[in-house]
Formats: sequence, structure tokens, C-alpha cells
Amino acid sequence: MRNKDDIEAILREALYNASAPQTQAEYVFRKSLATRIGENAITQNMGGEEEYLRIFVAHDKRQGSSITNKLEEKSIGTMIKRAEEIAENSPHNPEYMPPIKAQTYPEVPQRYYEEVAQIRPADVAKEIHKTVEIAKIENYRASGLFEASCAIKAIANSEGLFAFDMHSSVDYSTTIHGPLGSGFCSRDGESMKYVNTEAVTREALETAKEAQNPDPVDPGEYTVIFEPQAVYDFLGFLFWNMSARDADEGTTVFAGKVGQKLLSDKVNIMTRIDDPELPAPPFGLDGLPARPRLWVKKGVIMRLRHDRFWAGQKGTDPDPLLYPLFMEGQDQSISDLIATCKKGLLAKRLWYIRYVDRKELLLTGMTRDGLFLIKDGKVVAPVKNLRFNESPVVFLQNIVAMSRPQRVEGSVKVPGIMSKNFTFSSKTESI
Amino acid sequence: MKEYTDVGLNIAGKAGASFADMRIVEERQNRVYVQRRSLKLVDETESFGYCVRVLLNGAWGFAYNTRLSKDEVGQTAKLAVETAKASAQAPKDRPARMAAEEANIETLVGSCKENPFTVPNNEKAELLLTACDIMLNVPGVVMAEGFLQFIKMHRVIANTDGSYLDLTNYFANPMLKAVAVHDTESQDRSYQGGAKQAGYEFVREMDLVGRAKGWAEEAVIKCKAEDSPSGVMDLVLDPMNLALTMHESVGHPTELDRILGWEANMAGQSFVRPEDVGTLRYGSDLVNFTIDNNLEGGLGSWFYDDDGVQMKTFPLIKAGILTSLSNTRETVPLIGWERSNGCCRSDGFSHFPINRIPNLYLGPGTDDTITSYDLIAGVDKGIYIEGMGSFSIDQMRNNFQFGGDMFWMIERGKKTKPLKKVTYQAQTRKFWGSCDGIAGKPYWRSHGVMNCGKGEPVQAMRMTHGASFARFRNIQVGAAKL
Repeated sequence: MRNKDDIEAILREALYNASAPQTQAEYVFRKSLATRIGENAITQNMGGEEEYLRIFVAHDKRQGSSITNKLEEKSIGTMIKRAEEIAENSPHNPEYMPPIKAQTYPEVPQRYYEEVAQIRPADVAKEIHKTVEIAKIENYRASGLFEASCAIKAIANSEGLFAFDMHSSVDYSTTIHGPLGSGFCSRDGESMKYVNTEAVTREALETAKEAQNPDPVDPGEYTVIFEPQAVYDFLGFLFWNMSARDADEGTTVFAGKVGQKLLSDKVNIMTRIDDPELPAPPFGLDGLPARPRLWVKKGVIMRLRHDRFWAGQKGTDPDPLLYPLFMEGQDQSISDLIATCKKGLLAKRLWYIRYVDRKELLLTGMTRDGLFLIKDGKVVAPVKNLRFNESPVVFLQNIVAMSRPQRVEGSVKVPGIMSKNFTFSSKTESI
Repeated sequence: MKEYTDVGLNIAGKAGASFADMRIVEERQNRVYVQRRSLKLVDETESFGYCVRVLLNGAWGFAYNTRLSKDEVGQTAKLAVETAKASAQAPKDRPARMAAEEANIETLVGSCKENPFTVPNNEKAELLLTACDIMLNVPGVVMAEGFLQFIKMHRVIANTDGSYLDLTNYFANPMLKAVAVHDTESQDRSYQGGAKQAGYEFVREMDLVGRAKGWAEEAVIKCKAEDSPSGVMDLVLDPMNLALTMHESVGHPTELDRILGWEANMAGQSFVRPEDVGTLRYGSDLVNFTIDNNLEGGLGSWFYDDDGVQMKTFPLIKAGILTSLSNTRETVPLIGWERSNGCCRSDGFSHFPINRIPNLYLGPGTDDTITSYDLIAGVDKGIYIEGMGSFSIDQMRNNFQFGGDMFWMIERGKKTKPLKKVTYQAQTRKFWGSCDGIAGKPYWRSHGVMNCGKGEPVQAMRMTHGASFARFRNIQVGAAKL
């Protein structure tokens, strides 16, 4: 793994060798170990590292770029020449944005742990072994992925900017199958100390045991309790639609909604850069410094994400980062939500979610790996999976209560959510 | 490259590997992207890397690298051996072994009549800017985007069977889309032909500029159209819509690795069991699916898969009965079959090759004279759907719901009015069992899929599907909440 000085030297050299007046060079490195399990055995076990260098060049609003993963002098020279030839022959880009000036970056919580770079395949296998043994005791079958990775991203440009970020991550997810039902659990963090594979396995196993022999249940409108994983699965589409320009053009659900109350007043969504449990990178697009943003306050859409061009058109600042995103919850557990639910469905995970209509943000998808019927404040039975056709906007309008937020997939912290009148449209025999 | 592959294979052999391969992948890529009237991206990428895969004591190891020297190859092979030894800590019930395969030594180059890397980028940019401008000039269209992607993929595969394969393929991937707004509605319409294994000639043949206005106008028509009716009715689906439906409900459920449970954590499993082959009724008598990894222009026609198996053509479903499964050299011995049918591919040097959907198509009807109009004429109340839209299926591949890109009401045998937000929902086998009409061979069209996601870490794979227009009876339509 190259050090910061070496990387800066590579980027500066690339910029020096480019003749275009406006240039930006980016370096990306990734080292990873990834181990897959299926049917209680390691099915794939992979390790390696790769690095890429990219250059953007521009003159007179004509731009070109080129990428290589061969970082010797000759290949970098070829890459620069290609980008310059592209720019030379390109038409003007009316929305071209020049490189930004050198920036001062905020201090962000620790997001790189050297110990992750030192993890060996045998260390991973030892963790996987715990899962397999736990599943075998119950005569259940485990599948999953353990991934440990270290990444570097660095940007330099012709205006003197240099931005550098190192990030480590450990992710573990497992699905445990019994004869007639399954459970899933996933945790991730910047260090191994945040991922307890045994605890992850036991949580998935517990769900799997409870999910055996599900009863059929009719589709229809239900009060639902989504655990944080399911909330993230569902709300991801809402977050991806937070482009200010798309809304201004009328193509998303947020069209004409900025400044208006669209969601329940329980909903507060923001980008934070100070949470050690979900550390933000120090910079975002083009090397813009990370900054906190409040997107939704008490259900009112406060702001949508502006890229640099659209921010200029609208006389506002660009938004460097959307993630990590935080949605506030309430100081209670999922069990507390269940205790207050007279009749409803508890969903652990959603699957294969797609747009039905982008403008309405109407989505379809399936429940998976644990769906449970709640009656009179108690989980009474596992039920068979259902297909939903519903909008995250409606889901967030109909919030009844929330749990404490939890980190999911290294991108968000979201609460479990109880919401009423959620539409399930068809059923399946698949369990 | 043989001096390097020898180093990797020798280290694996000395470690005691029962099988090993080294795959070198070199890719050149060119992308041009226009959004509205702005040329957002023109770039060229070169990427080089290699991987060593080692089967040691029935357990797999795999390592990759981008730096090529004998020393680096040696280090990579040693890491592959180290990961294989680690895999033995959670061993398979039956040690993995590779089905037999003969040694093949070949150098092959795929079709590319006009090298896309020599076509000036400004010509590509002007094409997309012109097409987007035409679309944006249609009243109601607020956004247009176009994309061209060209890839040259060069693989060298050497394995301990003695195979040494030097394989080059070219891919051309165009996209064009218009987004319209009318009052509070917004709808889009796009080019639907997908990608092809070809050079720039594919882009020239399709006339994106000439067709842009029509797609833009249909985006506006969709905005003003009535919402989907709901109820049980008949469907006539065009080849592009069927491409996605067969991908999800036929291609994925018949992957043997999924059936064996190896994808259970993410992509899911399948309702199909190995013992179903030869007996399971998957569709009506009219339904014939063929796996054809030799299909001309097919995105999965790679000459040899990453197991070193020559690409094959064979029936998957014959007269409605399941007759085979897509598989790999590692999966076939587990169900007692002897030879792989060549469906093991990886999307690059850094990923382990896995069981992938091959080129897969629905055979045309036996009567060449049957057209889409004939199929529509046999529908009293139903919907005709063109192109791909919403798609979702459960993790066992039973319950699915699909949309489309353009919809027309069928009443008393005729297309009567446009519709929007149409979805159809069914269980896989019941749906294919309801097929009662397929148009003839002259109406057969293909669609190349560039981004089929599967595996962990996720891999994006390419394959081509095809069909003639087909009719399905009594399907649930409009279950989505509108």
C-alpha cells in the first residue's frame, strides 16, 4: 500500500505532465479479503489489491478524461495523452465546472484502522468457522459473506487542491436456513472490534428458528414494523431521489415540495460528519469539504442535494455529501414497538425493490428472511412472504413510532419504524 | 504471457493443487455520456490484472493483482494457496472437484467490423448531443440522456488441464432515454435493444438519431395516458419485455449454484431442484428455451467460459419441460453429471468466476406467418406491452411483478389507447404455462443485458436474450397501488 506522500507525488507528476490549463487527478486503491460461505462451507475465498489513476483535463470548456490501473510512467503518459486528445476534439460543455481551489478539510472521526490491513485469510476463516459450527449444531445451513477491506482515495488538481482519505471496513452478513424458514443478520464497522461474528450468527439463527413453518397470510393493508435493515432497504430509493435539479424539473416526488411538510413530523433526516459510530469522509465530490446538512426537519423538506452546476444556477452552495445519512428515532427498542402493536407484521429484511413509478416513488419488492405476525403486542407466528407495492413517502407519512437508530451497511443510521396502512399486494410460497 | 502463467500454475502445482488456473484480463473501455445538452463524460479506460485460482484439498483459494512480473505472480499464487488452506477450516461436505475437460489451445477474436476505438469521440458525442437535442425539442420533454459504451475484453486463460486460451471480444452498449413531465405526471421512454457483441457498426445500424423523436413523443403520450386497469386479463408482450421476464424467471432459477444454495445470502435460491430435470413442467407446450452461448452477437458468446469450457448450444426447456440447468465444472459433479455446459464466468480479474445466466432465448412459434397483430386479434380484453420497466421477483424465483416501457389497451382484438403504470404479477410456472401464442421467426428479436448483478462481492455480467412476441392468458394486472 502506497503512503500519502507517494500518492501525492504520483498525482502531482500526472498534473505536471498534462498540458491542459485545467486538470484534476484522482487515485483510488482497494485491498480486500472476501470469503463467501454457502451450505455451511467456504465456497469462495478471495484476496488482492488494485489501484487506479484517473485524470480529467479541460480547456475552454472542452473536457476529456482517462483511467489506467498501470501506474508506471509510460502508461500514465499514455493516459494523459488520451485525455488531452479527447478534450481537444470535444464540443464545449455548457455545464462544465472547473477544478476547485485548495480547501481546508474538517476533522472527522477515525475511519481507518491498520489492523484491518493486517487481517489474513486464516483469521477470516476462523470467524467463519464459528458461524458454521453454530449452524451445524441446529442442523441449519449458513451462507454469508465476510469482507475486510482498506481503501484510499486522493484528489489533486491544477488549482493546488490535495485531498486524501483512508478508510477501512469489516462487513459480515449471514443467512441461516432451517428446513422451512430463514433468518438474516448483517453488521459492519471500520474495525474488527465492531463486528462480532458470533453475535451476528446467533441473531440470524434466532430469527431462523422463529421463522420455521410460516403460516399463509393474505395480502392487504397492515401496520408494519420494519427493523433497521428493512427500513434502509426501503428508504434507499427515497435518498437516491434527493436531487434538487430532478425535483426542479418535475421528475421526482420532491417536485415543488421544498419548504413543505411532506412527511410525518417525527421525521428528521440529516448528513452528519461527527458521529464516531458512522464516520464520514473528510471530502466529497471534486474534493469539496464534507459538511453537515439538514434535509428533513419535522417532516418538512428543508433542502435537496445540489451538484456544483445546479448550485451555481440556484445561487446556493453545492452539497458535497449525502452519506452518511442519519434519521432520528425514538428512545425505545423494537420490542417496545411490538408491545404497542395491536395487529401487524414485523419485517426483518426486504428484497428486490424496484420502481413501479418514479415520480410517485411507488416501489415494489418482497419480504425475506423472517416475516412475523404481531397480535396484541406479541409476535405470535411466522408468516409467508408477501409482495408490497408502496411508497417510502407514504411509509414516512404514516409513522406510528420508531426505535433507536442503528448503523446499516456502512451508509446510514436509521431507526426501526412502525407505520400503518402499508400495502401488500400478493403472496408467494417462497420461504 | 505464458512465462507468467507458468509461474502461477507451477506454484499452485507444487502446493499440491488438484486444479489451478491463471486468468489475465485486459480491458479497454470508451464511454460517452450526454445529459440534457451537456457532454458530461468522455473517457477511455485501460485496465489490466490477473488472478490465480487454486483448488487444494477440495477447497478454493483465489488471489488477484494488477502488477505483472514473475515475482508479483509468484506472490499472488502464494496468496491463492494461503486462502485455499484457510478455506479448509470450513470444508465442504464433499471436497470440491472439477468435472473433466480436455486441454484446449486456441486464439480467437470476436466480431468487430468497425473498431469503436478508432471512431472519433467527437462523432460519438455529436450523435448523442443531436439525439438528446431532438428529444428535448419535443414539448413536455424535460430531460434526455444518452450513453455509448465500447469494451474490448482480452482474456488469457491457462490451467492445469493444459489449456491455453487467448480470447478477445468486443461489446457495444448504447442507451438513449427521454423523460417527460405533464402536470404532476412524469414518465420516460427509452431505446430498448440493449447491447451487442459488435463494434461501432451496431450503433450505426440502429439509427438512434432517427428514432429519438418517436421515443420522446411516446414519453409525453405516457404522461397523458390513463392509469393501468386492474384485474385478470390477457397480455401480449414484445421481445424486449420478454427478455427481462425470461432473465428473472427462467435464467436465474435454472442456475445450478443457486439451486445448490451457494447464493442464499444475497441473490437467493430457486424453486427448481436438480431432480426436476426431465420432468418439471415449466411452461405450456409452446414454450421452448434454448441456451446458446454461440449466438452471433450474443453478449455471453465468449468462445470459452472462465472454467476453460467451450461454449455450447442446447435446449433448456423443451415443449414446456425442463431439460437442463446452466452449470459449471465444480457444480455438475455434485448432481452426478459428467461435463459442464460452460456457464462459469467472472466480470473481471478481481472476481471469482461463478455460474452465470448464458445467452438464453425463447424459441419462435412454428408458424412464421403469425405476427403480433394476430396475437392481439385473439385478445378480447388485455394489454400489449413493449420494452422493459419495473422488475422484481422473490428470492426463490416464484412470485414476480414486471412493468414495461410502453403500454396499450387491447379491446376486442385491437390496440385502442395508451396506458401508463402497468404491472403484471404472476407465479413463474403458472405464467409460462399460460402462454398460448408465439409469433413467428421473422419477428424474433434479441436484447443484450450488460449488468446482471449476482455474487458477493457483486459482479455485473453480460448475456443476451431473445424472443418473438408472445401471448399469455389470464394474468393479474394492475395490482400495484396507484
